[in-house]
Amino acid sequence: MNLEAHALTKAYRTLVAVHELSFTAGAGEVIGLLGPNGAGKTTAIRVLTTILAPSAGSFAVAGIAHTRPAEIRRRIGVLPESAGYPDRQTGAEFLRYHARLFGQSAASARATAAALLEEVGLAERRDSPIANYSRGMRQRLGIARALLNDPSVVFLDEPTLGLDPAGQEQVLRVVRSISGERAATVVLSTHMLGEVEEVCSRVLILNRGHLVADGTVADVARRAAAPRRGRFRVPAEARDGAVLALETVPGLGAVRPDDGRAGWLVVDAADVDVEGAAAALGAVGIPLLAFELEGARLSDAYLAMTEAG
Amino acid sequence: MAVVTRQELRDLWVGGRGLLLAFAFSVLLSAITYLGATNQALNFLERREAVNLTLQVAVGVGALLALLAAADAISGERERGTLESLLLTPVDRPGLVAGKLLAALSLWLGALVVTVPYVWFLGHDVGAAGEAIGTGALAGTLLAIALTAFGIVVSSLADSNRVSLSVCLFTLLALFAPTQLPAGAQHGWAGEALLRVNPVTAAEHYVGAVVVDQHGWTRDLSWLVSPLVAAIALTVVAVVVVPRFLRLRGGVGG
Repeated sequence: MNLEAHALTKAYRTLVAVHELSFTAGAGEVIGLLGPNGAGKTTAIRVLTTILAPSAGSFAVAGIAHTRPAEIRRRIGVLPESAGYPDRQTGAEFLRYHARLFGQSAASARATAAALLEEVGLAERRDSPIANYSRGMRQRLGIARALLNDPSVVFLDEPTLGLDPAGQEQVLRVVRSISGERAATVVLSTHMLGEVEEVCSRVLILNRGHLVADGTVADVARRAAAPRRGRFRVPAEARDGAVLALETVPGLGAVRPDDGRAGWLVVDAADVDVEGAAAALGAVGIPLLAFELEGARLSDAYLAMTEAG
Repeated sequence: MAVVTRQELRDLWVGGRGLLLAFAFSVLLSAITYLGATNQALNFLERREAVNLTLQVAVGVGALLALLAAADAISGERERGTLESLLLTPVDRPGLVAGKLLAALSLWLGALVVTVPYVWFLGHDVGAAGEAIGTGALAGTLLAIALTAFGIVVSSLADSNRVSLSVCLFTLLALFAPTQLPAGAQHGWAGEALLRVNPVTAAEHYVGAVVVDQHGWTRDLSWLVSPLVAAIALTVVAVVVVPRFLRLRGGVGG
């Protein structure tokens, strides 16, 4: 495993920012770290990146225990939340300097900086002062900085915050290549649930410092969505007959008209038997025009599991 | 440490701030030297006193420049959001702090280099140039080291750059305040103790004793004890203690 956390806790006097966080992540995985503001995402990342010392628990990066922070820093790459940049330096100078801080020779730092600027699409602006970079370019420069040491684990804290859709897509493309081509583990903290559904293989949801969900996007969505709500659409004039027909289907429970939507019926059930419902309606000659299932999206799970809901 | 020092020196001197400060410093020394050497209406000083005045200003302002650069070293990184990226590198933190300290200290060295021709111009006729430059370099370097290290310590603790700069400036003014005491108040055991304990007044007294009173290099060396002790103690605190408590936020907690 590239990343292992066991009962990791960070407390500030009486405030417990992260409470007994445990999870593991393998090579090439993209872990989405979700939670409302103040849930403990940034604190968790700062602990895992050795900026903050844990109050209790332990973690290891690429098998290196948290008690050896300098060695861990050699194996991780980080794009911090609200990362700042020296405006007077050029992108190439910035990367060369940080490569030297990671112990690379001047020649190696130059080559690494050039390759990474190419990888994140900044090669043409390599000699421009960072002051002239857009927010999206700065974020990509920050990601390039996080990759200087060819890390085993990359932590990206809100990498697409404030970016336009094109900028978000560029960053997500880089994230995919980090996990795909470099086979590094990526921990992606974000509020953009669409991004998580798009690029993450797993999701962790934090709420008030507690881990409330850990699994694939589909698993988490399914678990949190129970009980679900299904909506059937039938011809408006056949609504009463449809109610009687659907009430005969096992497991559907109470069937009621959907207020304000003519022809729509609502049922609450953990697993809606759509085929059974269609058969029951067909048996009395009522066509099933449409079916909607609520509560199967990550956003529903997120809202159900956090105080944001 | 060498990588950090080189980059900090580059940012300071190639980036323009160092050269600008050195230029402003040379303008100040030019004005003082001009008044001390050529303006008959204002020139009421003996030539050695003019050398001493120029040297005292050079030491005081040169150390101030280094202090201000140090005061920005960590709180500035914190405020600009660049400190976290530095802390995420495997560079050892004492090396990081030492690199910043050395870069800030380079402003004093720059000021000293700028001072040399002015002191030579004023002092070579009376044979005071060599001893004035040597004395200024010795006392000024000790003072600059102490103040630079102090600036680093304050900068590491301050939540904002403004607080760091304010505390450093206030402290420097407080250290210079005794030089404005009436001559009578500077005599007697209490007055002398106050001047000796304060590294700024002690260093300036030593410079004056050698340049104006012609006491020679060694007779008043005891006056350099407090600048020396301050330089060593504050450097140890800056390079050994501060790195252990270097945080993203100011203060000593968390």
